[in-house]
Amino acid sequence: MEVFKADVAIVGGGGAGLRAAIAVAESDPTLKIALVSKVYPMRSHTVSAEGGSAGVKKEGDSLEYHFNDTVGGGDWLCEQDVVEFFVSKCAEELTQLEHWGCPWSRTEDGHVNVRAFGGMKIERTWFAADKTGFHMLHTLFQTSIKYPSIKRFDEHFCVDLVKEDGRCQGVVAIEMASGEFTLIEAGSVIIATGGAGRVFRENTNGGVVTGDGMALAYRHGVPLRDMEFVQYHPTCMPGTGLLFTEACRGEGGFLVNKDGYRYLQDYGLGPAEPTPRNKAMELGPRDRLSQAFWHEQQKGRTIEGRYGPVVHLDLRHLGATKLHERLPQICELAEQFLGVDPALAPIPIRPAVHYTMGGIMVNGLCASPLPGLYAVGECSSVGIHGANRLGSNSLSELLVFGKVAGVEAAGFAKSVAPGNSASLLKQAKAVEQRVTGLKTKTGGTEKISVLRKEMAQTMEDGCGIYRLADTMQKTCNKLDELKARFKNVNLEDGSSVWNTDWLLAIELEYQLDVAQTMAYSALQRRESRGAHQRLDGYEQRDDVNFLKHSEANYVADGAPRISYGDVKITKSQPGVRAYGAAGEKAEKERKASHV
Amino acid sequence: MSESQKTIEIEVLRYNPETDQAPHLQVFQVPFADDMSVLQGAQYIKDHLDGSLSFRWSCRMAICGSCGMMVNGEPHLSCQTFLRDYYPARVRIEALSHFPIERDLVINMEGFIDKLESIQPYIIPKEKRSLAQGEYLQTPEQLNAYEQFSSCINCMLCYAACPQFGLNADFVGPAAMALLHRYNMDSRDGAAEERMELVAAEEGVFNCTAVGYCSEVCPKQVDPANAVNINKTNAAKDYFLRFLSPKGGSK
Amino acid sequence: MSKRRPYVRPMDGWWKKNPYFVEYMVHEGTALFVAAYAFTLLVGLVRLGQGEAAWNGWLEALKSPLSLAFHAVLLVAILYHTYTWFKIMPRTLPPIIVGGKKLAPATITGGGLMAALVASLVLLGLVWRIAQ
Repeated sequence: MEVFKADVAIVGGGGAGLRAAIAVAESDPTLKIALVSKVYPMRSHTVSAEGGSAGVKKEGDSLEYHFNDTVGGGDWLCEQDVVEFFVSKCAEELTQLEHWGCPWSRTEDGHVNVRAFGGMKIERTWFAADKTGFHMLHTLFQTSIKYPSIKRFDEHFCVDLVKEDGRCQGVVAIEMASGEFTLIEAGSVIIATGGAGRVFRENTNGGVVTGDGMALAYRHGVPLRDMEFVQYHPTCMPGTGLLFTEACRGEGGFLVNKDGYRYLQDYGLGPAEPTPRNKAMELGPRDRLSQAFWHEQQKGRTIEGRYGPVVHLDLRHLGATKLHERLPQICELAEQFLGVDPALAPIPIRPAVHYTMGGIMVNGLCASPLPGLYAVGECSSVGIHGANRLGSNSLSELLVFGKVAGVEAAGFAKSVAPGNSASLLKQAKAVEQRVTGLKTKTGGTEKISVLRKEMAQTMEDGCGIYRLADTMQKTCNKLDELKARFKNVNLEDGSSVWNTDWLLAIELEYQLDVAQTMAYSALQRRESRGAHQRLDGYEQRDDVNFLKHSEANYVADGAPRISYGDVKITKSQPGVRAYGAAGEKAEKERKASHV
Repeated sequence: MSESQKTIEIEVLRYNPETDQAPHLQVFQVPFADDMSVLQGAQYIKDHLDGSLSFRWSCRMAICGSCGMMVNGEPHLSCQTFLRDYYPARVRIEALSHFPIERDLVINMEGFIDKLESIQPYIIPKEKRSLAQGEYLQTPEQLNAYEQFSSCINCMLCYAACPQFGLNADFVGPAAMALLHRYNMDSRDGAAEERMELVAAEEGVFNCTAVGYCSEVCPKQVDPANAVNINKTNAAKDYFLRFLSPKGGSK
Repeated sequence: MSKRRPYVRPMDGWWKKNPYFVEYMVHEGTALFVAAYAFTLLVGLVRLGQGEAAWNGWLEALKSPLSLAFHAVLLVAILYHTYTWFKIMPRTLPPIIVGGKKLAPATITGGGLMAALVASLVLLGLVWRIAQ
């Protein structure tokens, strides 16, 4: 087996992994960095982020506003000290990216421009047309090439972590092109593998978003926190789930039902005004907008499309020129995939799974409870998103906490003695034997594509926009069944070179673990908060019993054990989460009571 | 039900290095729907007909750049190429031309990555600026000068469209040259001169014979042929100006 | 031992595999006709230098049916070459900004063809006037 000795190993080459790698390289150029990714870095799912990245910039905006929007948007399930740190670093990190060449959209006088985004009080979303994630990822990837200490392991599929002396000391990966195993020894490991949205049927995520790193940390005893909070993005393409960015609404787009009526005004988001007002109507938070769609469907006011009910995203009044300048990719997607020119016709849309708010439990310095193991980005739960993430906070998160994770992991790696190579290699060989067994074993009858489909369907049924105890229970049972059936899986491909059948099976196993943490955490949260909404007697938020983080703990061959941890409240006491005119009124009252 | 009964024949160039001497074609019958992409066709084959078929894909929305294939002999992103444009005729998919095939539709792209790394694809600042000083000012016009070339998704369709790359794998090629041009044209960058050596080198722009097909197939309207050809002029200018100024002409 | 064995496909006959490549090869091929015509004119110049008899001989040769047919072929080939040459031209020029907007490729191609047409007509007119 190939062995590579690194100081810091990073799993995942998306925005968070690249930012962390650069941070390690800049903090100490003598440290050897192994950047392991199952795809070439620029293929990572950061590439699909469209709308933008939040950072206080405009006159009249303040860190406090950004803090309040984030904490309120997260329905007070945020770690407030972490949010405070986060909002204070966003603009600096975005400026750093500007210095590295990110083509941010500009104002006439050459400054970086900002746009409105859902749930944000003031325009503070930095953007690069509607391809912000793409430009950020390519900027980070290309910048990373500058640092000779970053050794990339592109198209290396991480299959396990290795531990020794109670701390994480490396990873085992398969070189996809050859099917051979590599052990990467490291003083510290950063997981930056992104979300797990592919466990759902209709989602905006790329094929790679399968929760690999979450499952790896989880299996090694690190809890997955707040996994029941899964974000539905309200404006997605029916059938494929492809995303139409929130910036469509930030630029002034309308959501209308079958009568052409801007229905959001019926759900506490009004009044309806012709131009966008921040934190109102179409610029409300994602959870509320997706929930409103569900209610419209119940009322029979949606439009029946080929893939079920849809509503319309109407951009016509913005005009072709503005659409092509500000939302070029949206125009392209609508035209190519739906045959709709957004300047001439409304776009049919519906909600789809977009983001996993929860993830690997880490503290504000990205450190997990397992010494030497760090996590950053969508795979992690550092505590800034709470029960509902605000659009454009996650791209900033990659940068701010990517840097933190890099610096912290570098420091940790320097503080520890080199590991016992012989013992680590022995562990790695055991991993090789186990993982290879998946493709060499015979007599299985289950097909991975069938199991995957059943998993995605049951997640959709039980863990959708609104949830009920009995359907969630059914989903939990179904997932248990699927895990049992997975043991009887049959691979069609026994070869070594580019055996994607094998890799998909490993991914499916990751997905099943992560799906279980979502379903079991959801079932046991008997309240409604943010993206977790119930209709079975728990319709209200319950701060007495559930102002808590859920923690899903791995139990070998069983269902996860759910425990609860405290939420850090510093300066924002849980309040009523109101938007639109009601929100403005509530804010005035809050201010008045402060004086 | 009538829709689901329609089928389309997809012919796939298969290659398994462990069992095949050379690639060969295999035909699959795939249920046809008029909103199905070529990628979805391939996914259907993998999920239902032959789990051993290998190909790269991820985002499904023409931005990650993974899923380039030859579709009836032309380079396309399979996620935004639709079967309806070929139906009812058979459609043939193959690994991107001009690259070595690792397995089935998966090409070896290590050479491309080496090229990308060789062009110094990062800002080498004209004037240093600290974070405390804030952003570099860049007007929309200055942004316009390079934005198009920054839109490359590294899908490599342009290499599959470039016979000169097919004939000489050392040629830096369209996408890498477009990226080089992107940094040269950025008002924040000051390293055009450093990059000139590669532009004019043996593997540089003069391999290009202006076929122009690279720009035709580019899914993001980057127009890499334009970047290559502008740099031919730049290299020629630089060459002649060297006679006049000992410091070279690219300034 | 790695089981990788990347397969490199041969490039034989590459230009026949895509209509775009065929067009490119025809374009490149027609450059030979441009060269042939230039050579013909060059021969005329040499003959002119050799005296009146030589010059008249060259003129006579041009009038032969074979030469006329050859010139007809040249004309077609050169027209095609001109057309495809201007078609690729927008790809080879730095962006031309007019009134804050990038000039469209079709405008550049159209402009080039128009210029070629005007130049040809002017030349024809001049020759016509001299011949009168």
